[in-house]
Amino acid sequence: MSLRSELATFAGKSSYWFLHTFMHGGSSLPGKITTAIDPEILKHLGKNYDVVVITGTNGKTLTTALTVQVLKQKYENVLTNPSGSNMEQGLVTTFLKAKNNKSKRPLAVLEVDEANVIKLTKYIKPIAFVCTNIFRDQMDRYGEIYTTYKKIIDGIKLAPKATIIANGDAPIFNSVDLPNPKIYYGFKNHDDENDIKAEPNTDGILCPKCQNILHYRYISYANLGNYFCPHCGFKRPVLNHELTKLGQLTPNSSQFIVDGQELSIGIGGVYNIYNALAAYSVGRFLGIEAKEAATAFQSNERVFGRQEQINVEGKDVTLILVKNPVGLNQVIDMISKEQEDFSFIGLLNANYADGIDTSWIWDGEFERLNQMPIKKFITGGERYRDITFRLKVAGVDEKLHEVEPDLEKVVKDIPNLPTKKVYILATYTAMLQLRKDFAEKGYIKGGME
Amino acid sequence: MAKKYTLNIAHLYGDLMNTYGDLGNILVLKYYGKKMGIDVQSNVVSLDEDFKAADYDIAVFGGGQDFEQTIVSKDIQTKKDEIKKFIDSNGCLLAICGGFQLLGKYYIDAKGDKIPGIGVMDHYTEQQHDNRFIGDILIKNEETGEQYHGFENHQGVTYTGSDERPLGDVEQGYGNNGKDKAEGAIYKNVYCTYFHGPILARNNIIAKHILIKALKRRYPNDDFSQFEKMKVEKAY
Repeated sequence: MSLRSELATFAGKSSYWFLHTFMHGGSSLPGKITTAIDPEILKHLGKNYDVVVITGTNGKTLTTALTVQVLKQKYENVLTNPSGSNMEQGLVTTFLKAKNNKSKRPLAVLEVDEANVIKLTKYIKPIAFVCTNIFRDQMDRYGEIYTTYKKIIDGIKLAPKATIIANGDAPIFNSVDLPNPKIYYGFKNHDDENDIKAEPNTDGILCPKCQNILHYRYISYANLGNYFCPHCGFKRPVLNHELTKLGQLTPNSSQFIVDGQELSIGIGGVYNIYNALAAYSVGRFLGIEAKEAATAFQSNERVFGRQEQINVEGKDVTLILVKNPVGLNQVIDMISKEQEDFSFIGLLNANYADGIDTSWIWDGEFERLNQMPIKKFITGGERYRDITFRLKVAGVDEKLHEVEPDLEKVVKDIPNLPTKKVYILATYTAMLQLRKDFAEKGYIKGGME
Repeated sequence: MAKKYTLNIAHLYGDLMNTYGDLGNILVLKYYGKKMGIDVQSNVVSLDEDFKAADYDIAVFGGGQDFEQTIVSKDIQTKKDEIKKFIDSNGCLLAICGGFQLLGKYYIDAKGDKIPGIGVMDHYTEQQHDNRFIGDILIKNEETGEQYHGFENHQGVTYTGSDERPLGDVEQGYGNNGKDKAEGAIYKNVYCTYFHGPILARNNIIAKHILIKALKRRYPNDDFSQFEKMKVEKAY
C-alpha cells in the first residue's frame, strides 16, 4: 500500500469514527476527505473484494437489500451501502467502515448510481453487474434513458469479464452487444400467442435494431415484458430465471413462482417482484439454492425500501415515495390491490431533490383511483395546485376531495380521516417534511433511514 | 336539448413523443370538452400510419427524446402534405418542444446533426453548446394580455419566421432562444411552445381557446358565446 493510500485511509476512517461517535451520521464526508487525499483510493480499498454492482433507475435500494439477505444464507459478512449513498464518495465511505475480515475473500454488494458505475470500475473490476431497469427519472437532472444507459455501459466496458445479470424484460438491456457473460430474468407467466402494444405514454418502445415499434406477448408494466419486433425478428432473449406464476398480491405482500420454486416477499408491487427476481438471480449466480433464497425472503427482516408503515393515532398509514411516472404507476397499481376502504393523500413538492419539473404527474394513471374504495382524498404540498387539478381531471369526486397545502395540517387531519387505512404518496422533500413532523409527534423515530 | 358536438384529436406520434407528460394536454381538452358537453375523441397517429387532415379538428404533437425524434423526423415527411393541408384549413395544432421544432425547417440535435423538419412553418432551430434552458417560465401574450406559466427544458434555440408571432413575450425565463424575448410561436391556429408537456394543464385558458376555435371551424353556423363566457380553473 502506498503511503498516500495509507494516509487517506487513516484520515477517512478517523473522520468516519468521529462523525459516527459524536455526530450520529456522515455517509459522504469521510469519502470526500479520503478521495481528496488519494483520488485512486477505491483501487486500494476494493482490491480484496468480490464486488456486485446494482444499478438502474428504480429498485436499486430494495434489490441491494434483498440480495444481501439472500447472500447471507452462505456468506457471513457482506459489505453493503444500505442507506442508498450510491455516489463515489458514499462507496468510499462504505469500504472505510468495513471491519477487517482476513479469513477469506469478502463480498461487497453495492448500490451504485447510474453515472457513478464508471467511477467505480475505473479502479475495481466487479464480478457482476445487476441492471434493474432504465426509466425516465427527473430528466431535469439525468437526461434521456439512452444517455443514462450509455453511462452504465461505459462503466461495464471497463470490466468485460463481469457477468451481467439483467432484467430480460427490458428491451434496452438487449440493445448493445457486450462481450460479458449474461444472465437474464423475467416473466414467463403468459400465452405466447398474444400480440399487443404498450400504452401511448410509455418510453423506450422502439426496436433497437430496426427502429419500428415493438410488440409484446405480455406486458408486466411500462415497457417491460415479452417483447418482439414483427419487422426484423428482434426479441426478448432466452431467460435463465423465469417467473412462471403470480400468486396472491396485496399492497404488503407478493407470492410468485420462479424456476418452480414458490417465493414470497413481505412487500407489494410488481416492480418489487422484479427486484426479488434480481436478488434471486444474484443468489443463484453465487451458489445459493432456490430453496435457500425462499427462506431468505421469508426471514422477516425489515428491508429499507421506499415505503413504510406508520401508526398514527390508530390509523394504518403507509407512506410511499414517488418520483417518476413509472414508479408512480406501479404504486397506483399496488394500492389497487387494497380490499378495505382507505384514504388517499397526494403530496407534491418541486424542489431540486423532488425534480423541479412536475409534468410527470400527467403520465400517472390517477384515473384508476376512481375504481378503488377511497373514501377521502387530500392533496397538498408546495405544488398542491398541480396535483389537485390532476385529480380533478382524473374525475375524482369533489365532495370527497380536500385541498390542504400545509403538510403539518395534513398530519393533524390524519386521525380524523373516515378510514382506518391511509395511503400517502409523496415526493422526496414532502416525505422528509412529513417524516420530521411524524417524528416530532412521536409516531416514528427521526431521520430518513 | 342542446346539440351534441364532437371533436377529434390526432395525437401525433403519441407513443414516441410524450417525454414530459404531453398526454396531459389531451386529458385537459377532454376535461373541458366534457364541461362544454362536447364528445372529445383522441387517437394516436404513429409510424407508418396515415394522418388525414379531414378526419381531425385538433392535433397535439409532443416532445420526444433525441433518438425517437430522429425516427419521427423521417416518418413525418410522409405526412407533410396532409399536415400542411390541416394547418391551411385552420385546423388547431398544439406543438411542444420537439413537435415545435419538427414543424419548422430544421433543427440541430445534441450530436450536432442537422435534422430536417417539414417546413410547414418558417422557424428553424440551432443548438447551444453545453447549456440548456431549464426552469420555470412566465410569458405574456401581447394580443390577449394573458399570462402563461410553464416549465422549460431545452437545448435547442429557435428563431421564428416573419409570419409567426410569439405565443408570449418572456417575463421570466429564457424562451425560444434567450435573446429576443419571444416564447413559442403562433401561426394561423397553430400554437407552438417550449413549455414542457402539459402546457394546457397549467394554462387552462389556452385549452378553452383551442376548443372554441375547433368548434367554430367544425360548426361554423353555431353560436358558442356561452362557452366563451365559461370560467376556467386556476391550476397554477
